[in-house]
Amino acid sequence: MTLTELYCLLPIVITGCAALFVLLCGPLLLSSSLTAIGVTASAAAGIWAAFTAPAPIQCIPGLAFTPLAQLLIPLFSFAAALTLLLSHGYNERRILKGEEYPATVLFALFAMCVLPCATNMLILFLALESVSFAFYILVSMDLNRAESGEAGLKYLLMGAVAAAFTAFGFALIFTGSGTLALSAALARPENRAIISAGWGVLILGMAFKLSLVPAHLWTPDVYQGAPSPVAAFLSTSSKVAAAALLLILLGHFPPMAELRAPLAALSVLSMVLGNLAALRQTNIKRMLAYSSVAHMGYLALALLTGSRDGYAAVLLYGAIYTAMNLAAFGAISSLSFEEEREQITDFTGIGFTAPVRGGVLALAMISLAGIPPTAGFIGKFFIFYSALKGGLIALAIVGILSAAASAYFYLRVVAQLYMHRSEAPAPKPVGFAEGLALCAASACILIIGVYPGPLLEMVETALR
Amino acid sequence: MSVPLSHILIVASLMFAMGLGCVIAWRANVIMMLIGIEIMLNAVMLTFVGGSAHWGIADGQLFSLMLMALTSAEVSLALAMVVYLHRRKQTVNTDRFDSMKG
Repeated sequence: MTLTELYCLLPIVITGCAALFVLLCGPLLLSSSLTAIGVTASAAAGIWAAFTAPAPIQCIPGLAFTPLAQLLIPLFSFAAALTLLLSHGYNERRILKGEEYPATVLFALFAMCVLPCATNMLILFLALESVSFAFYILVSMDLNRAESGEAGLKYLLMGAVAAAFTAFGFALIFTGSGTLALSAALARPENRAIISAGWGVLILGMAFKLSLVPAHLWTPDVYQGAPSPVAAFLSTSSKVAAAALLLILLGHFPPMAELRAPLAALSVLSMVLGNLAALRQTNIKRMLAYSSVAHMGYLALALLTGSRDGYAAVLLYGAIYTAMNLAAFGAISSLSFEEEREQITDFTGIGFTAPVRGGVLALAMISLAGIPPTAGFIGKFFIFYSALKGGLIALAIVGILSAAASAYFYLRVVAQLYMHRSEAPAPKPVGFAEGLALCAASACILIIGVYPGPLLEMVETALR
Repeated sequence: MSVPLSHILIVASLMFAMGLGCVIAWRANVIMMLIGIEIMLNAVMLTFVGGSAHWGIADGQLFSLMLMALTSAEVSLALAMVVYLHRRKQTVNTDRFDSMKG
């Protein structure tokens, strides 16, 4: 192993060692120092990855530090650090003790760091499944609420079925092409039927991970049952990781003609049904779950274009969506005390009684609705621009109309926050860690919305 | 190879479909769902092993070994959750786990 290779592997090594360290030394340390270790390790991994030049790694087969990893590892680390900061106060209020929580978050981050580095299907699959595996545990972590365990079991059973689909897809692609390496897996014309069947099964499995309609049924239950900071991490990083897997595969195999119809159907159904179902939700976490179904529909639309513009839009939207949902779920979790604050009516007048958290939630909702000058507008603009440029005019029109309809349920939350006064006592003040995380997420939303240039450049570099 | 690749693929697809059928038909019982998932994953391993034999490389067998490790981890986690939820509700019937609606 040369020094360059070690430098490239360092983000993976840091997160893996930090997870083990937290697990081993957890009983001896205070929970605040465990959070500090986790946040420091994530930040170190992210910053290191952002400033390391891409290079191949010869000593471990199936790994390479790709330009994509240079963009995605910092993104995942940002999400993990914010999740740890948010869950520090939340776990204290909800009496979620133990070192398993930060350790599992770090294990999830470890798997996410491996995923964009993969150059063969085995590593890709293992990384994806390890991410899901960590989330099965995190979702069911809250023993004080019956919903949490139920949500975990539902997620695990559905996730295992989806893992079987994904693995069957990889198995068929392997059988058709004769290699696990992504770069060498050229579609052999004589085995085209097997490879297309593999792609079809794989897309079904990935539809579950991205919660595209009709494989979205787990999403609302899991988001509702999971502790709010976990829902924040789950709705952002695991979705971006699944999208990244599809991007890596599509970057190596050009999209096949027979894939277009299923992907188009998944995308349209998700955009329309996701937004329609979100309209009638009274629980804000379920509403955000259906909204994430719709947002993944937009992502699928950009993937469908098969162009460089489309792939850039996917990465850009992934980054922006991470900031938006971390802010939204972060505000919900910092407003939850003995009980989860999850009914939309519970947020009446919060804009006056807790101005900072109410403001962050309102900003996240406005951004999710795609209203300028927030980041959500930039993301949606590039998605629909790439779709129109790629000739998917009918799909883009459906998407734009459903996005316009979605403004109703996002703005309903904002109205609830500011249009009514509430008699309920003001929520308790927020801790330093949570305040920091909320400020970081909302700063990202505003900065990307006003000045998207640097992020666009990073995305362009990642696809080179 | 004595067995043609198409036969292996047909058997594996049938097994996969039967496993999926088991998961869908026995939706009410967590243990039966886990068995169905195991059958589906066995079909996947069969495909990998068949593919490796067809191309004369060991990559597929390696994938199957990793899949075994993964499934055993998944099943152990699922059983732990079943035990935990059974203590709460005294049942493994999924229809009783209905505290979330909407």
